[in-house]
Amino acid sequence: MYTRISDIDRMFDAMGLLRGRLGNVFSDFDRTLGHGTDWHVSGSYPRTNLYDKGDTFELVAEIPGLSKEELKVKIQGNYLEISGTREVNPPENYQVHRSERGSSSFTRSLTLPADVDSDKVTATLENGILSLTLPKSETAKPRQISIN
Amino acid sequence: MDGKDLTQKEQGTVELTRNLRQVAPLVDIYENDDEILLHAEMPGVQKDDITINIDNGSLTLSGLRSLTKEGAADWEEFGDLEYQRAFSVPQSIDVNSVKAELKDGILALHLPKSEAAKPRFIEIN
Repeated sequence: MYTRISDIDRMFDAMGLLRGRLGNVFSDFDRTLGHGTDWHVSGSYPRTNLYDKGDTFELVAEIPGLSKEELKVKIQGNYLEISGTREVNPPENYQVHRSERGSSSFTRSLTLPADVDSDKVTATLENGILSLTLPKSETAKPRQISIN
Repeated sequence: MDGKDLTQKEQGTVELTRNLRQVAPLVDIYENDDEILLHAEMPGVQKDDITINIDNGSLTLSGLRSLTKEGAADWEEFGDLEYQRAFSVPQSIDVNSVKAELKDGILALHLPKSEAAKPRFIEIN
């Protein structure tokens, strides 16, 4: 019934909970700030995740409200640039009560850990999430070395 | 007990069942004579993971986002979370004809006003 591991686990759970609460203090204070990750400085938009899958990189970016025509992705070597413009206009003949989502234009440039083969990059945009599959260029791929 | 316990487990402590971060989605709210229109920003949430509840003058929006993760993370700036926000809506909303659509991570919620609540032009004889 009492095991040491689970006790430690519980303790960390409680700490995690406290951390989450503290992180949310800001979002409670100002809801529009609640968008950022807890302790992050929300300076760069859009937010991205990068995963290394061996032969390819997988980059996902959070870009709500943009159609694929409004989005531009530029790649050169290990340099990647995402830019776009979002227009948020109230629909016609509607009275505005609250407007938190603004029009914005953004550019974010990222440096990938290795060169990618820009010809083979594929991109999809679904539910406001942009996913890029970036195959590493031949020289950057991990190689199996056979031992003689 | 053999004295090795670091902390003592308290009986009746409520277990933490959900650890998702809750975030209020950004919204735009518009109104015209026929309806109230709400746009909520919920990137990455699938259509089936959105719950919209209207009950007794309060509207609750909730959307769960679970992202697929594969490979080693080089960096991670956003993750799984729950979008949640509540609004109070006038009773004059026709609950049966509320419509919602999801496009590019934006939820558009049409809340039509019931006939009785629409403005009427009175003709003077």
